[in-house]
Amino acid sequence: MPVAVEAPVTYVETQLRRRRRLLLPLLIFLALLLALGLIAVGFALAAAERLTRNRTEAFPDILTHFEHGSIGADQSSGIPFWVWKALPRLFPAEFDGHLDYRAFGFLYRTDSHGRQEDLPIGISKRDFRGVDLVWFNCAICHTGTFRAAEGAERVIVRAMPSNNLNLYGFIRFILDAGVDERLKPDKLIPAVQAAGANLSLIEQQVWRHVVIPQMREGFIQRRSRLQAFLAGQAPWGPGRVDTFNPYKLVQMEMLLDGISPDELHAASDFPSIFNQRPREGMHLHWDGNNSSLAERNLSAALGAGVTPETVDHAAIQRVAAWLGDLQPPRSPHRVDAAAAERGRALYMNACAACHGYQGPDRYVFEGAKLGTVEPNGTLGTDAGRLDSYTEAFRQRQLAELFAGTPFQFKHFVKTNGYANMPLDALWLRGPYLHNGSVPTLRDLLAPPGQRPSAFVRGVDIIDGKNGGFVSPSCTPGSRPAQGFCYDTRLPGNGNGGHTFGTTLPENEKNDLIAYLLTF
Amino acid sequence: MSEDVIFTPLKFRNLTVKNRIFRSNISGRFDNEDGSLTQTRVNWECKFAAGGVGAIISSYVPVLMEGRIIADYATIHRDDFIPLWERLGAAVHRFDCKYILQLSHSGRQMDFPGVHNSHRPALSSTSRKETLHGFLCRAASKAEIDHLVQAFAAGAWRAREAGLDGVELHAANGYLFTQFLSSGINDRTDEYGGPLQNRARFLIEVIRAIRARVGREFHLQVKLSAVDRNNVIPWEKKGNVLADTIEVAKWCESEGADAIHVSTGSLFPHPLNPPGDFSFETIATTYDAMIASGVDAFRNFLLFRYRMLRPIFRWVWFRMKKGLPVEGVSMDEARAIKANVTVPVLNTGGYQTASFIRNGINSGAFDGVAIARSLVANNDLVQQWGMGRDLPERPCTYCNKCLLNAAKNPVGCYELARFPSRDAMIEELMTIYATRPTLNLPPVVSAKAA
Repeated sequence: MPVAVEAPVTYVETQLRRRRRLLLPLLIFLALLLALGLIAVGFALAAAERLTRNRTEAFPDILTHFEHGSIGADQSSGIPFWVWKALPRLFPAEFDGHLDYRAFGFLYRTDSHGRQEDLPIGISKRDFRGVDLVWFNCAICHTGTFRAAEGAERVIVRAMPSNNLNLYGFIRFILDAGVDERLKPDKLIPAVQAAGANLSLIEQQVWRHVVIPQMREGFIQRRSRLQAFLAGQAPWGPGRVDTFNPYKLVQMEMLLDGISPDELHAASDFPSIFNQRPREGMHLHWDGNNSSLAERNLSAALGAGVTPETVDHAAIQRVAAWLGDLQPPRSPHRVDAAAAERGRALYMNACAACHGYQGPDRYVFEGAKLGTVEPNGTLGTDAGRLDSYTEAFRQRQLAELFAGTPFQFKHFVKTNGYANMPLDALWLRGPYLHNGSVPTLRDLLAPPGQRPSAFVRGVDIIDGKNGGFVSPSCTPGSRPAQGFCYDTRLPGNGNGGHTFGTTLPENEKNDLIAYLLTF
Repeated sequence: MSEDVIFTPLKFRNLTVKNRIFRSNISGRFDNEDGSLTQTRVNWECKFAAGGVGAIISSYVPVLMEGRIIADYATIHRDDFIPLWERLGAAVHRFDCKYILQLSHSGRQMDFPGVHNSHRPALSSTSRKETLHGFLCRAASKAEIDHLVQAFAAGAWRAREAGLDGVELHAANGYLFTQFLSSGINDRTDEYGGPLQNRARFLIEVIRAIRARVGREFHLQVKLSAVDRNNVIPWEKKGNVLADTIEVAKWCESEGADAIHVSTGSLFPHPLNPPGDFSFETIATTYDAMIASGVDAFRNFLLFRYRMLRPIFRWVWFRMKKGLPVEGVSMDEARAIKANVTVPVLNTGGYQTASFIRNGINSGAFDGVAIARSLVANNDLVQQWGMGRDLPERPCTYCNKCLLNAAKNPVGCYELARFPSRDAMIEELMTIYATRPTLNLPPVVSAKAA
């Protein structure tokens, strides 16, 4: 039964009822306003939570931390994870048709179900301001592979040089992609969604108007700093990087015109990073310009993309502590024990003072000149890397980076040669010399004129006869079936110098190589 | 020993009062809903007459049922009430006390509309609601104003017919006359609005109509608010100033008023009328009776009821009192008016000290005073003065609890500190019911006769 609305008894009540009726739309409006306000506050709080978010996964396991733990580079230099995932879809030619980054030599592990993991080794992920960003950590340059033979299983070795990584190619691709119309929101967002992002409508708008423009702005900025330099470089090839020139352009914001052309051809091989603790106090880096492991590590992290503001010192120190006594896998090469023993005698006599030696169990870091700088006047190897590090640059490094913090650089020096390196894990460190200009140990014992002038690098099949990796000769400018054709005649790629042992008779060279193959 | 001026007669043109003390208008809710007065009113008025006052100004007496402030106050809107008022007058006269009937109309200031009025807006000069409680109203038409004028004249005639000693037009404190007079309230654009002369037109017309109806020989006085101070609600206009009221007083005199009674404030109660304290604890328990009376009353109830809100009203109410005394709060204004008229001037506002009143009369501030609260506290105040006291033994504290209780409880003094016990206070409150009316039996009407 409908309830009749009772008429008000007094005039005051009549007027109050009228007032309420007149006020009702206003009240409804205010209620809506309040509701909208609350929703807005909710959104604002959610947005504030997202915009203040800065978190990355902490991996209890040091091995996973090394491969995927963040050192802070993702925050300062990273690209959105979903863009990372979408790029292979947008640029199939550059990725050889794969939906991953193997085309640039990135390494992937497979999970327990045999599925390839989402991110390659050396890539960390961080939720920064609500967007997952990915970029490099230490492992990107210090994890490589070997195969015992063609067709054998590929073995990933942490802390060996990243012999596959085509950093030059990858950086150039990223910088070019930044100005490619395929990264316009209209193309990128569908690709991101296809990659599995599942962005909400609101998130799509945020991506369209904030995330993507900011990312492209970053790309354009980096490109403006690096493009001319990279364009002037011959491709470095896999396993190599120019440590200091990008540093000058990006961190120091120096202009390319202000850098002497002599400094600009400095690409060198990634080093192995086993056994770091015994190296403390030695001249580190190829040119021996720093004797502090901590400073060397921090400097390398800057190269990976951290900034003094974003660097995660604890994460880096955790890696450093683990690397302190990390032993390389033993050499799998089978050698004639007698020959190796004869070679050992030769080595101890002629080489050990500079390089230390391989003991029965582990490498022995002893030698009068081990870890000291050998003037390049006597060494005679390519000076490109040495010349890229200048006194002027050093001054700015010491003055500007981490200034006013306990991490301020103090130990960098300008040297006149290259450091005498320990040769632990030598079997994983080919090609040889700082710039990787000599493919095998046998070639290194050949006079410079007889060393291969062009050879393939980037093939990870170990060479049990000559040391290093299988490195067939090639024609510069050609694209070999596997790997990259390295041309020693290009600036910075020279294969001269380090003529020690080149005059030994062939049998002694064989003995010496037999011994070196056990390193 | 020279004669005490308080006890010298005050001679008006048509009336002589034995002393200078008038019981100001105050009443309780003790009359009948139809407007007929009761034995309790007779008892109430006689308390003061017996106490020695020279004259009693009745409580507010509406000339029409639609002009009641409070539903169960006696009215003078019917001829058949004349004998009742006559009886009351006779009762008071036994004490050599005069009785002046205050003719009134609430206009929009209608605290308890009652069954007669709750269904309609009150008549006023304006259609804008009253600002403190949100009482509703509508502007009277010319025909309605004429009707009101005649109602006042009829009221005066009934008072004269009842043998009462005079009438007072309640043209102060926010009631209908004030609503016309005040520049802060009157927003009319016809001949009753705008300049002061227009705003005073209704009052002047009433005086003329009364004089036309009762002649020149019947005492007629006018109670005026000297200054409106209409901005109790801070954003309201201030209303009339003293100079306006002086003009109005002069016009009243020239139209035949025999005295001017000076009060203050354009609403009642007003921070300065009655002056004194404001008991939140009291009003928090009584104001609920008024919630249905105005559209803003519930807001006020909340302001009174909740301690955390009280500072708001406290600021509103007490800001006007700063620097002003309680006793003689409008004495200077009375003095200014007296200086401009030739008829006697009465003043109200917290009077209780004999020497203070004496000084006021001797210095020409006024000719007599009208007192309510101090007489409620001490019905025999005048006698105490006569015995030489300057202040009574247990003086009125100006707590205003008598006023704030009026909405719900019997009229009287609620200042517990003045009594030896709560029982004594209640006993005193109940004295107005002491003389009981003779109960008459209603006639039996047979079914056949009906």
